[in-house]
Amino acid sequence: MKLGVFVSDFKLTADTLDRLKADKLGIIFVQNGVYHATTKENGKVSSLLDKTANLYALSEDIQIRGLKETDVDKRVKVVNYGDVVDLIFNEYDKIAWL
Amino acid sequence: MGDVKLAFIVQRPQYKGETSRLAITHAIAYQTVEILLEDGDTVTPKLCFVGEGVLGLQKGQKAMDLYGITSTESHMKNTLLVDLDVLVCKEDLAKYGIPEDAMPDAEDMGADKKIQVVPFSEIQKVIEDSKHVLFF
Amino acid sequence: MATLTIGCFPGLVGNMTYDFALKLAEAAANKGHKVNLWFSGNATGSIKSHQKHLKDYSTGEKYLKALLEKGVEICTCEACTVARGIQKTEGIEKIQWNAMHWYLAKIHSSDRVLQIGGE
Repeated sequence: MKLGVFVSDFKLTADTLDRLKADKLGIIFVQNGVYHATTKENGKVSSLLDKTANLYALSEDIQIRGLKETDVDKRVKVVNYGDVVDLIFNEYDKIAWL
Repeated sequence: MGDVKLAFIVQRPQYKGETSRLAITHAIAYQTVEILLEDGDTVTPKLCFVGEGVLGLQKGQKAMDLYGITSTESHMKNTLLVDLDVLVCKEDLAKYGIPEDAMPDAEDMGADKKIQVVPFSEIQKVIEDSKHVLFF
Repeated sequence: MATLTIGCFPGLVGNMTYDFALKLAEAAANKGHKVNLWFSGNATGSIKSHQKHLKDYSTGEKYLKALLEKGVEICTCEACTVARGIQKTEGIEKIQWNAMHWYLAKIHSSDRVLQIGGE
């Protein structure tokens, strides 16, 4: 199963995400989820960044919050809405919004 | 196209928000979807409760008496009555101290189907076996 | 080209998840994909016509009309909509009204489904 997961909150979704297993897991950070990619809590980066190598963050949702692409962890690829559409259709066979 | 299997995963508790209830009513709608599909096409959801989603499923709910709305318990009974598979995560019931026999049934309405309390691994399998997964 | 069905439950006003759903629908339609958009829960309040666009709030009407022009099929849950006091005559033209089975029927023929819950 190739599963693409949208993470839209900073705090709430790790529990469910911890339990999901996929042959290929992608995490797309959107809305407040982008803080996982940009923000350290007490000096530590989000543990979600260790879950998979397929990490994405939505450019529009980074910029709206006054953040810059340079604030994004190097492991995370910054994408736009068009890129998200391509991820949905080309990289994953199921998608989920947590 | 035949049958399309869906995994409905409810991860939020009932009553404060509407999403977890809408998961149940959308799943029940499988019963009438054939009127919009070609002959032989069907949709089969499996309704799974995980995490905080297992909260608010217990028997003895008084939603109609106190707030004038249909209880989750009543929705669950209807779900069983229309032969939907309902899976509740065993580990999460244990985590919140909810006994398995607190789950409602619809025997009084004549339903044979019962809620299945299963390990999360079985819910993971439902997710894998379904064409689409919908989190509520 | 493929088919994407989006189930959108959050309301137009109060958070920006609704905006995400519409922008994703637009991006998919712009790439030539078939897009279906199902509104349930608080999202159904967004199908009322004559919305005033105040700059502190997202606006749905202009966006929805543009999506309809691009061929996106949009349907609102009738029960959820009338429960919010909106009658069919008050709705934005060309937005469909139907029961929850519309969503399941669209899912049946979809390549991908994104269900966006309301909380």
